[in-house]
Amino acid sequence: MPHPQHLVNILTGIKGAMEMKDATPLAKIIKKAERPLLVIGPRALEVEIEGRPFIEYLVDIAKAANIPICATAHTKKKLLELGMTPESTYDVVEIVNALKDAEWKGVKGEGCHDFVLFGGIRTDLGNQALSTLKHFAPHLKTMTLCKYYYPNANFSLPNYKKEEEWKALLEGLVAGLK
Amino acid sequence: MKGKRKKEEKEKIIRAEDEWEPIGHTPMPHVTDLRNWDRRLLETYKPFYAPFCDLCCLCTYGKCDLTGTNRGACGIDISAQQGRIVTLACCMGMSAHAGHAAHIIDYLIEKHGEDYPIDLGDQVNVECPNIRTVLGLKPKTLRDLKTAVQYAAEQLVHVVSSTHTGQEGDAVDYESKALHISMLDHVCMEAADVAQIIGFKFPTSVADTPLVDMGWGSIDRKKPVILVVGHNPASSSEIIDYLRNKGLEDKVEVAGICCTALETTRYSNKAKVVGPLSRQLFFVRAGIADVIVADEQCIRTDLTDEASKVGSVVIASSDKACRGLEEVSDKPTDEVVKAMVDKGEHCLILDHEKAAEVAVEAALKIAPKRKKEEPIDEKKAIELAKACAACGSCTQVCPNLLPVGPAIQKLAEGDAEPFKQVFENCIGCGKCEEACPHGVPIFKLMQAVASWDTWKCRVGRGPVMDTEIRKVGAPIVLGTIPGVIALVGCSNFPNEIDEIAEMVDEFARRKYIVVLTGCSAMTVGMRKDKEGKTIYEKYPGDFDAGGVVNIGSCVSNAHITGAAMKIANIFANLPLRANYEVIADYVLNRVGAVGVAWGAMSQKAASIATGCNRLGIPVVLGPHSAKYRRLYLSRKEEGDWTVMDGRKKELVDTEEPSPEHLAIVTESKERAMVMIAKLCIRKNDTQPGRQIKLNHYIDLYKKFFGTLPDDLHHFVRTERDIPMFFKKEVKQFLQEKGWKPKPVLSLPTLIGTYETEVPVEATIR
Ligand code: SF4
Ligand code: SF4
Ligand code: SF4
Repeated sequence: MPHPQHLVNILTGIKGAMEMKDATPLAKIIKKAERPLLVIGPRALEVEIEGRPFIEYLVDIAKAANIPICATAHTKKKLLELGMTPESTYDVVEIVNALKDAEWKGVKGEGCHDFVLFGGIRTDLGNQALSTLKHFAPHLKTMTLCKYYYPNANFSLPNYKKEEEWKALLEGLVAGLK
Repeated sequence: MKGKRKKEEKEKIIRAEDEWEPIGHTPMPHVTDLRNWDRRLLETYKPFYAPFCDLCCLCTYGKCDLTGTNRGACGIDISAQQGRIVTLACCMGMSAHAGHAAHIIDYLIEKHGEDYPIDLGDQVNVECPNIRTVLGLKPKTLRDLKTAVQYAAEQLVHVVSSTHTGQEGDAVDYESKALHISMLDHVCMEAADVAQIIGFKFPTSVADTPLVDMGWGSIDRKKPVILVVGHNPASSSEIIDYLRNKGLEDKVEVAGICCTALETTRYSNKAKVVGPLSRQLFFVRAGIADVIVADEQCIRTDLTDEASKVGSVVIASSDKACRGLEEVSDKPTDEVVKAMVDKGEHCLILDHEKAAEVAVEAALKIAPKRKKEEPIDEKKAIELAKACAACGSCTQVCPNLLPVGPAIQKLAEGDAEPFKQVFENCIGCGKCEEACPHGVPIFKLMQAVASWDTWKCRVGRGPVMDTEIRKVGAPIVLGTIPGVIALVGCSNFPNEIDEIAEMVDEFARRKYIVVLTGCSAMTVGMRKDKEGKTIYEKYPGDFDAGGVVNIGSCVSNAHITGAAMKIANIFANLPLRANYEVIADYVLNRVGAVGVAWGAMSQKAASIATGCNRLGIPVVLGPHSAKYRRLYLSRKEEGDWTVMDGRKKELVDTEEPSPEHLAIVTESKERAMVMIAKLCIRKNDTQPGRQIKLNHYIDLYKKFFGTLPDDLHHFVRTERDIPMFFKKEVKQFLQEKGWKPKPVLSLPTLIGTYETEVPVEATIR
């Protein structure tokens, strides 16, 4: 859609996520982060990519770049089964509430995070949570790993129609982060 | 507005000379009279905003982009704008109940006169705890209920005016206004429901209300069918009266959707409940109803179009929802009925007696003319499903992402269960059937499945009885009944039938007190256990440990806040009269009650929940409720948990984040259950009480998350709080966390921790 002369006349806001279709620049951005965090939500337990649960891809990403995990809802149990102990468990709005605070000590007690990745949060709730961070957390950047476009993030994957494309990106990301 | 004359005016209205209780500090509070209480609450539970829209388009300076640090042309920032929108939503919600209350009270005054007395039976003396606490008035008649609503309406004008451009500009002040108007929502709901109970002689002072049939399998389609939709029982009760007077009660089916269904079953146990709001479109499209009588709130705006498609006629009966129809209130009944029968004309009738007469007469004439198809039986359904070629087209178009195709294929194999699941989450849009290239009548099959099952719903019973409060007050405050869980409001999103029913089952089994209202109250009846029993058949209807109580419709939500107030009054002997701060402080610190609005979508849900929050009752919301834009969250580690020890009059840092949040969204039912158990914890819990609460919290956490709660150390005050069953592992956990004992208070209060006229002594009786 072309933009109108006055930008405020579009959709619900004029600041939207950069759509990322390529794993290489994404991996670069993540690597640059000093204190990244990966927030994993319960959709990651239900969604499968070609037979493999999404949560396993997310765990691979966390391992590849040594990113601490915040498990929301009831994802903690599955993570433990996968041999991954999350650094923290919160509801998604609770972790976002903490992230809003630039002075927060972070999940590892080392200071607030500067880059937060999200995967497995349902789209409506996820976009609301990202809205909070977009408006109130200028000290950090956000990125989503689900197969939908989240306008309120800083970086988002596109709306994937084909599973393979999504899978390829996630695998590319894991490889790029190693 | 302050001043001598205003004070005298209030004293006159609340009959200050009646000495039933001393008058507290805030009779008929004005918008800012409880502002300090709100600010104190929001100091701990700060507003958390998730803007749904970054722009504002409320005046012609805009649109303005409020992203981040941008401000509007009027100077407002994104936080205040969220507070403003939330305030507007609460005003809309409250006004729906105020409008309902004003209407029903006037209607009943027409019938019975202004002096018609309030009598809620021998078990309810504290008839209107909200009105008593907020206004300071002990209402005796319908006229007094009208007075309460008029006062609330005046406050509404002030609050709505604050949302005009260039008025309020601070987020917390907007929240205070939202809290004020939402507190008054409970006053209006109470006035409406108490008027209905006395005016229509709804059940009161009994726990064991009858079970009625639910689901459209329970409707006899061979009879003329009248469907009532909405929230206001004026027309539906007139319909029942008309049928009774004409001896037609067994000849015409009256079925309801949404709260009117609950109200109608309180009036006649022959009435049927079709189901919650989410079933509206589906049922209308099924064409089972001959006449649809719509009143107010949550009625589909395309109702007349949809009804026309299937040959049903609609009577709109509320000034709030005229729907572009011609008003025929003064035309002769015969003429109106004729137009309906011959031409399928819909109409607006604002005289309820007339609407009832027209509805029944029209239904009697229309029904024989309409060929209602017999529902397909299971054998036929399987046959029809066999036409499916597994192309997947239906699944692709379903807006609810339901697995329609696979369910049809299972049905073809003789397993109807998956298809029933699809039906439960289906909104009735009909897109799947349209998309099917092989002509499988998916929508018809869905209707068939729908008609195979019937369920039971317990009739709503109105206020919790004083005798019950006397019995459970102590165990609730001491903590040995671990909590009161109120599942309220709509249930409009996929999976909610199962999820709400599961939560109710879990907490009832654990001997919490579970109360239900509105669509949630119907929804829980729509699931059966292995023995074929619904929740209502499984658990007793008493307000006691392990009871599952249907309080009633949306307006009955006031009886839930009312019950919390009555605990303070009847058990703790605190006066209610114009004593809001003291009562809210009591509830916050000592009554382990939690509201759950799992499928909320309406503005009414916003004001109902926010009204609970001002009274100190935390609310857990379902995931899509993040779109309400605002929550009240604490930071358990960073927050200040200092309270006043009411006995010693000393400030004490309790280090205990209880209750942890006032309004929170949870992502899954599992998380919700864990959160609910945690939010029941109160500073006032005795040690045995705390043990019981922690036992459930730990048990649920382990069940769903696999470990001990990682914040458990915050809720253990001394070793005696540790549940026996988990003693060893908890002790080890505490040691790892470097836990130290915390103070235990018997009289925790916020009074004295902020600027207020209320003395600390007022919290003790
Ligand atoms: S009310 Fe304020 S923010 Fe909204 S459009 Fe007008 S000037 Fe802009
Ligand atoms: S009618 Fe069909 S497409 Fe529409 S919600 Fe129901 S199952 Fe989905
Ligand atoms: S569209 Fe029709 S044929 Fe295709 S899967 Fe659905 S029911 Fe079967």
